[in-house]
Amino acid sequence: MIRIAAVGDLHYGEGSQGILKPGLQHLPDRADLLLLAGDLTRRGKPEEVQVLADELRGVSIPMIAVLGNHDYHAGHEAEVRRVLEEAGVRVLEGEGTTVDLDGVRVGIAGTKGFGGGFRGAHGSDFGEPEMKAFVGHTKMLSNRLAQALAGLDADLRIALLHYSPIEGTLEGERLEIYPFLGSYLMAEAVDNAGADLVVHGHAHHGTEKGRTPAGIPVRNVAQPLIRHAYNIYTLNAHREVLAAAAGGIS
Amino acid sequence: MSEPPDYLPDRIREQLFHDPRVAEQDLKVDVKEHRVLLGGNVSSVQLRHTITEVAQELLPGYEIVNETTVVPATEPEDEESVS
Repeated sequence: MIRIAAVGDLHYGEGSQGILKPGLQHLPDRADLLLLAGDLTRRGKPEEVQVLADELRGVSIPMIAVLGNHDYHAGHEAEVRRVLEEAGVRVLEGEGTTVDLDGVRVGIAGTKGFGGGFRGAHGSDFGEPEMKAFVGHTKMLSNRLAQALAGLDADLRIALLHYSPIEGTLEGERLEIYPFLGSYLMAEAVDNAGADLVVHGHAHHGTEKGRTPAGIPVRNVAQPLIRHAYNIYTLNAHREVLAAAAGGIS
Repeated sequence: MSEPPDYLPDRIREQLFHDPRVAEQDLKVDVKEHRVLLGGNVSSVQLRHTITEVAQELLPGYEIVNETTVVPATEPEDEESVS
């Protein structure tokens, strides 16, 4: 059994020192992997993410993150990424990574993702350059997500996003803002490539649990929604993988 | 010509979001006569105080009622088996 801790939307900034650290005290005993689902800062300032990095440094389990829209606001996303990686957090954007957890290979494909809307009501990259850029960005990131997932050589596969791939985990948000909260193109990418779990943030007033149209579990881990330092989800690898990890199959 | 009052809450909400001391999108703003009601989630006690101060700067002479909630970040009690 693999235990995945996940949280997003920590929105670290001035005065955030010590918010997360007490909640991380027993994390390595309770989980095998920590996923951070974007919006780690308020304005994307390196000094904001430095406060969070100092609290994460020394966490002894693998940490994987994507950035969120707030982390891009100041235009210093490369520096934000560098500060996190110096603290031991692997940051993904359209990429995949695999970690070995007691012989079980867990693959994570990550992207910020973007908006556009959902089936039957999605924007098109048509008309003004601004609209083409908006929907084109979502299409590009969704394609990269599909490629990153398909490229994972792993026993379990997780898609880590900031924006939501489904409407189900947005329930509670105002319908008018759904196109700014996610896009079904990411769900399509996940359903086509296959995954065992999708984790996202961004929707503070949404719902924790949902599924893609193909039935893949989706969890919204926005911190203002889950109201904990993180949530823990357990995944069982296929029986033959567990047996091989235990030395039962050569 | 003075600003029609119905647009005031959205303008204040937008100004709070763009103020570097706040940068919080998850705020609700309601204005009734000279009383400003602030709601929503914030991540720290300090940010909650700052929001009151900035709202007062934006609307001097208004009473600021800050009913925002500081979101807890404690350890989870249990775990969920997903598969």
